[in-house]
Amino acid sequence: MKPGTLARLRAAIPLPTGVFLVAAGIYVILKLVRPVIPHSVILLYMGFVILGLVIHVTLRDERMRRFAEFFLQKGTGQSRSVRAQRLALLAVPPLLLGGWVFEANRPRYAPPVEIFQRHPTVGEEVLGRIAVPDWIAAAPAQWDARFVSDGKKLYEANCAVCHGEKLDGQGVAAEGFRYPIRPANFQDPGTIAQLTLPYMYWRLTVGGIQNQFNSAMPRWVAPSDNPDVSTLHSYDMNEDEAWKVIAYLYKATGHEPRR
Amino acid sequence: MALIIASALPGLAVAQGSPLPMPDYAAPALMDSRLAVWMAAQLHLMFAAFVLAVPMFALFIEYLGWRARKTDPASARRHDWLAHEMASLLPIAYSLTAITGAALGFLLFTAYPRFMNYLSGVFGPTFIVYPLFFIAETLCLYFWYYGWARMQGERKWLHLVLGLALNVFGTIVMFIADAWATFMMTPGGVDAQGQLVSLYDAVWNPGWMPLNVHRLIANITFGALLCSGYAAYRFLLARTHAERALYDWMGYTGNLIALFTMLFLPFAGYYFGFELFAFSATYGVTLMGGVLSWLFIIQAIVIATLFIGAAYYSWLGLLRIPGSERQQAWSSVFNVLLIGGFMVWATPHTMAASLEESTGGFHPVLGALGVMAPKMIAVTLILVVLYGSYLLYRRAGKVITVPWGGTGERIQWSLVGLTALAITALGVYGYFAPAEVRIRTSIWQIIVLMGGIVATFILDQFLMRGARTVAEVQWGRMPGRGQYVLVALAVVIVWLMGLMGYARSGARLNWHVFGIMEDTSAGAGLPSLGEAALVITLITAIFFALLAVGFYISALARGEAAGADPESAGLLAEGERA
Repeated sequence: MKPGTLARLRAAIPLPTGVFLVAAGIYVILKLVRPVIPHSVILLYMGFVILGLVIHVTLRDERMRRFAEFFLQKGTGQSRSVRAQRLALLAVPPLLLGGWVFEANRPRYAPPVEIFQRHPTVGEEVLGRIAVPDWIAAAPAQWDARFVSDGKKLYEANCAVCHGEKLDGQGVAAEGFRYPIRPANFQDPGTIAQLTLPYMYWRLTVGGIQNQFNSAMPRWVAPSDNPDVSTLHSYDMNEDEAWKVIAYLYKATGHEPRR
Repeated sequence: MALIIASALPGLAVAQGSPLPMPDYAAPALMDSRLAVWMAAQLHLMFAAFVLAVPMFALFIEYLGWRARKTDPASARRHDWLAHEMASLLPIAYSLTAITGAALGFLLFTAYPRFMNYLSGVFGPTFIVYPLFFIAETLCLYFWYYGWARMQGERKWLHLVLGLALNVFGTIVMFIADAWATFMMTPGGVDAQGQLVSLYDAVWNPGWMPLNVHRLIANITFGALLCSGYAAYRFLLARTHAERALYDWMGYTGNLIALFTMLFLPFAGYYFGFELFAFSATYGVTLMGGVLSWLFIIQAIVIATLFIGAAYYSWLGLLRIPGSERQQAWSSVFNVLLIGGFMVWATPHTMAASLEESTGGFHPVLGALGVMAPKMIAVTLILVVLYGSYLLYRRAGKVITVPWGGTGERIQWSLVGLTALAITALGVYGYFAPAEVRIRTSIWQIIVLMGGIVATFILDQFLMRGARTVAEVQWGRMPGRGQYVLVALAVVIVWLMGLMGYARSGARLNWHVFGIMEDTSAGAGLPSLGEAALVITLITAIFFALLAVGFYISALARGEAAGADPESAGLLAEGERA
């Protein structure tokens, strides 16, 4: 850029206006992303953006001076446009902040935003007692194809309605579970690929909804010491079938259980 | 320490079958014992980290001064002053380490007698050896510090040897204590019932060496940032320019040490995490996907603050060097890259969303940034940027004179670019690969990063050989805001250490010794994230309050008359030209 052009640009858009425009521009872009980015994440990003802008302004004494002079009305011959920008910057950010505070505190009926744990925590005293059958403890390449095939049938009959035929969390009933979390997308490397076999078994057999894990996943296996416990559906798997379904999940997605 | 030994011996007796009934839990601190132990342990660890780390780099600086005694006596004296100035913070911090350690020992043995009885039974011999090394460390420290003036000149080598012994004993003390801490997380050397089979394996349990490595590096970062925070405080209070010049140099040195060690910290952390996951996948779920997962989002933000602050300070440092405008222009570019990288790094995998915003907990665009592979790309590229900043800083005020300078610089920056490209490619490959492969690619990313740094650094040595200095560094010309950054960084590192201490210990959930001895006390649960943050903040405040009182007492003892002392005044005058 030619020095003259830079000077003209600086005169037309003083540093504080530029800083505000960058912050506002990034905020608008983040707001326009679809599906919407949750407010909590935008807040996090904007914290970084503002930190970056503060660093940018304070990296040089000359920039700090320009920033301060804009508000202190120093410098001669300021145009009407610059004066208007000053007034706007003195008014708009406080108003935005006020609006944000109001919005954050106004009473509403929606459930509060809560942080969600993707994988409910379970103690070693539970996982350590789960015995993994030898056949599935072996490498996936050695798994009996008949077991995987059985697992596929069981999955399609019981699980696909929520988790989808393609195991992508897009089953026909998935839309019914928007908040706080949809049925897991097993194709995503952040789900079953991160989990061990005992954990998978625990999640499938114990579920979430009966245990207040903030998940709609029902229990699929009635425990042997309490066979009449409600599993919320008409068909209960036995332990063997649960392992076959787990084997199918890994085979069909190409993921491997975490060791 | 005496308390620990005294308490350990009855523990040994009980392990051999004392008939005395022993209560499982008590509340000696009139509060939840877990909370009391948490606070005492964290404070003890912080002071211990400080007294372990400062002698390491103080000795190194002292050695640099000793090496320059013939070629550049002024530099030698300056380095010796800096090492001594850093070491002057040690005696009082050492006392505070012992006091908090005694409090921790008392709380552990009275609140958790059954558990400590068991631990004493397993680690009995180490409980005997530990205080011996502690005493050796104490003797070395006090002789090293108080013998500074007497062991100058011909006897300086003896002082250096004493400093080395201090570091060796200090490291051994830490390694022994690490064995106890890691045994609780990843127990080894015991059978399924917890009976001791091999003391060697109990000490060298799976988590021991990773924690040793992680703590060794993190302690240096911690100590260096506290030293530079102290230097910043002294800079802001300085009455003369010469004094400001020296404390500016001290702050710069501390920040440089911290920045250098911080390069390795993420990898030391991954190594520790890797071993924990290998020991039990429950840790993986608890730490990364479960109850402690949001802690790591906070950690990501805090670490980002640390890196950005340290980088910002180094960019501000260019203002000390006249004629560094070309390098200063790059600071803004690096700023954008750093902020962008940390935005990726801090992106949560599972988003906290309202009912209207919910896409089912996982965002199809941003959610992909929440897993390990993109975070590894981001953090490794951030390190490339920080290294780039360092290369630029070296060039400030200098003109390369070697005839192949232009080509050399092009090759050097191309290598930096290639390193970044290879790291990104490896990360993208790892994203689509199974977990085991992904972990391996992350190791390769580190190897590529280190390879790139080593290659370009060696090239840089040749490039900068005989470089003409056109502008000297004007120490003391650092803007005041740079000093406030250093103070803020000191607070941030203490808070971060508190956070990570909680994560490490909290990951065991309801186990004293993971999988072997369950914590069945009333306070065995984990606090909410907000409550944990409050406790960590309280610990940070107490730490600084104790440190401030300690430094005040230390200053009283020294008379605080640096300007009036003729020797120091002479040195400070030299400092202006440093």
